[in-house]
Amino acid sequence: MTKLSADPAPACGDCLRRSWLLARLSAGLDYRWADVSRLTELLALDDERLLRAQAGSRRARLQSDYLRFDSAGLSPRPGVGTVCRHDPGYPAALRGRGAPPMLYVLGGPDRLRDLTQRPVVAVVGTVRASDYGVEIARSLGRGLAASGVTVLSGASDGIAAAAHSGVVEAGAAGVAVVGGGLDVAWPARRRSLLERLRTHGCVVSELPCGTDGRRWGPAAAERVVARLSEVTVVVEAGETARELASAGIARSLGRMVAAVPGRVTSRSSRGTNALLIDGARLVRGAQDVLELLHAGSAARPVADGTACVELEPRLAEVLEQVGEGRDSPDRLTDPAADADEVLLALSELELIGLLTRGEGGRYVRCV
Amino acid sequence: MLARAHTFTIEGLQTRHVTVEVDVRSGLPAFTIVGLADAAIREARERVRTAILNSGFEFPGRRITANLAPGDVPKAGPGLDLALGCAVLAASGQLPGERLDTHALFGELALSGELRACDGTLAVALAARERGLKTVVVAPACAAEARLVEGLDVAVAERLSSAVRVLRGGSPDPPGLSPSRPPHAIRRESRQPDLAEVRGQHHAVRALVIAAAGGHHCLLSGPPGTGKTMLAQRLPSILPLLSSQEAIEVTRVRSILGSAPRGLARRRPFRAPHHSITTAGLVGGGQRGWVGEAVLAHNGVLFLDELSEFARSTLDALRQPLEEGRIAIVRARHAAVYPARFMLVAATNPCPCGHAGAGDRCGCTETELARHRRRLSGPLIDRIDLLLALERQAPRTLGERPLTSSKSARERVVEARERQATRLAADGITMNAHMDAALLARHARLDATGEAMLQRAGERGLLSARGQHRLLRVARTIADLNASGRVRPRDLGAALALRPEATLGGSRAA
Repeated sequence: MTKLSADPAPACGDCLRRSWLLARLSAGLDYRWADVSRLTELLALDDERLLRAQAGSRRARLQSDYLRFDSAGLSPRPGVGTVCRHDPGYPAALRGRGAPPMLYVLGGPDRLRDLTQRPVVAVVGTVRASDYGVEIARSLGRGLAASGVTVLSGASDGIAAAAHSGVVEAGAAGVAVVGGGLDVAWPARRRSLLERLRTHGCVVSELPCGTDGRRWGPAAAERVVARLSEVTVVVEAGETARELASAGIARSLGRMVAAVPGRVTSRSSRGTNALLIDGARLVRGAQDVLELLHAGSAARPVADGTACVELEPRLAEVLEQVGEGRDSPDRLTDPAADADEVLLALSELELIGLLTRGEGGRYVRCV
Repeated sequence: MLARAHTFTIEGLQTRHVTVEVDVRSGLPAFTIVGLADAAIREARERVRTAILNSGFEFPGRRITANLAPGDVPKAGPGLDLALGCAVLAASGQLPGERLDTHALFGELALSGELRACDGTLAVALAARERGLKTVVVAPACAAEARLVEGLDVAVAERLSSAVRVLRGGSPDPPGLSPSRPPHAIRRESRQPDLAEVRGQHHAVRALVIAAAGGHHCLLSGPPGTGKTMLAQRLPSILPLLSSQEAIEVTRVRSILGSAPRGLARRRPFRAPHHSITTAGLVGGGQRGWVGEAVLAHNGVLFLDELSEFARSTLDALRQPLEEGRIAIVRARHAAVYPARFMLVAATNPCPCGHAGAGDRCGCTETELARHRRRLSGPLIDRIDLLLALERQAPRTLGERPLTSSKSARERVVEARERQATRLAADGITMNAHMDAALLARHARLDATGEAMLQRAGERGLLSARGQHRLLRVARTIADLNASGRVRPRDLGAALALRPEATLGGSRAA
């Protein structure tokens, strides 16, 4: 690796060493990936305790490496900036116990500061999202980004990926927190998204470049996501601790948690519905989130679903039916009736952008 | 003394004319066959010798040389026995040689002198007529097949002695009633699946009729057990019956492969190879020009179940037949072009576990889904015009009345095809599925609303340029089914709802 010119305001040695330590412990931390509370506790430990948590000969080796650590070994990569908690540019929202001491930022610390000074909303949820969840997350990303809100999410599949693609559709900048080194696109299919964010938004990681993606990474990234944002919107989540982790972290920090309601029979909405019972704010779309952000500040137009365009009655009826779950031509048409009219209506709605196609060609209502 | 007889050998699907020249001279007794003969023909020496002796003739105890001309064509199979035997008899003066010039001889000899049936009789009979021969001499079991060729006399010979009688100007044997095919083959022909057996799935049935009407390749997508295979199997029953030319083509192929029905094939072939098939198995190849499933599906339906499980390279080999309707096979020792114009029907689960879109049952991870989509997308799906989305039916639909029977569906299909054929008569094609961009511009013109829809679909990224052409082809067919001269917006709308890209989960392709 060629030695590059040092960053104008490099992170301090202690913080660099911390990130180096995490990268060294990455494999061991992976054993804790499913148990988010243990993982967050582990990550909140200081260096000394983390070292002591190691056992056997490994601890001695790690300790001697730790003492001989030289930050020159972690020289920055092009385009990757660093910001540590001793830096004034370190996002204020992030501070507190258990926060990552330093961040690697693709897109520059300055841009990250700009983006986090706006209202920040996290759009999070399960990696195994339904078509409904994907569509909602995408519309939230699009709507919020278009309203000048910084949309923040992880880089995992499902809700996070959908939220980012909504941001991209709006032509705005978002922030993704990844669970590995910034130069390691993981999972690989996110490469194009990360590439876009590099030019428009920010990609953030607490691990040094070159660290492989591991399962604990996304879980740890979620705690950064929850800390950075004012409102955490859970779009779809099952009832596992893993899927509800960011909501739990946000709540423990006293941040606002909102959830999108789903069908009570749907596995991927059980967690969000439970959050709503526990007092999370109910969110139907970007408009609702904006209301939460600006609660009481100014009179805003009342949100009313999709009533911005007047639809022909035949289209409105079909759209209504798709929204009610009759999402395929078979369910929409009477066997005896002429199907072409319904197919035409479906196609027109798809062309307008009120419907899209999900798995197996099903129709999904956009919001 | 020298004698000549005409026969044919089959290489892959091609028939090659073979002149059997036999020379009998004084010398040490020997029987040599030259001219790229395979093992079966070299063994013919023993069969021919014994059959001649057992038929009451004399086998010349001299030096016999048989040459199979042309010398550069590899010859295979036992069908040359009869010609060889007759030529030996003529060369030894036991048979006048003049009728050998007008007769094609085809059959295998038994040691007793009996004549046995060989695969490919129809192909041989066709080739004999083309060659200008007047009569073909075949075993009784093959007579019906050979009689399908008009303008050719068929002489039935039960034994070598009967063939000799025919060649001397005598009368042939009566066509025997020997059971040419095992009875199960006949039963299979008689019981045909019918669209009336399908309950529910109205949308998919309608789409199947559209596919049949325009000759469009289609993709069936749906959870396991929803009837993808059932629907595909019923496609031949709504396609127009084979024309006499097509029927001959189909029967000829079946005849060569030894599975000819009694008489002419009426139904269109339906081939459903398993997804473990090799490239050679699908398109053909191998040392002797093995015929692949795609060729067997000529004029019919090629059904690929579990499309995503097929090897990528195997599917890629289908590009040529899909585009050109034929397969060119070039191997080390021979090259051949086979006809392969079929309707491709592919089936796939919406996701690896098959339950995507059906509530919570799908347990696939995003990685698996992405892999599934990647396997589906590609050059093959680019050539598929229509999506038939099937879904799990409520139990009550099993009691519903069927949407249509095969008979009435076929009538609609035939009507629509006639409309297409009339319109496309000047362009040298018969089906909408074969229209190219220039023809689409001429025959599938849209009104202003339709143009606007098409443009909007392009802007929204729903359609590629190639996708637009496919859409127009399908829209044209829907208009034909509705007896509309123009492509109206509603035809276009229905076609848009049926576009195959929709199954790739448009909302997730991030």
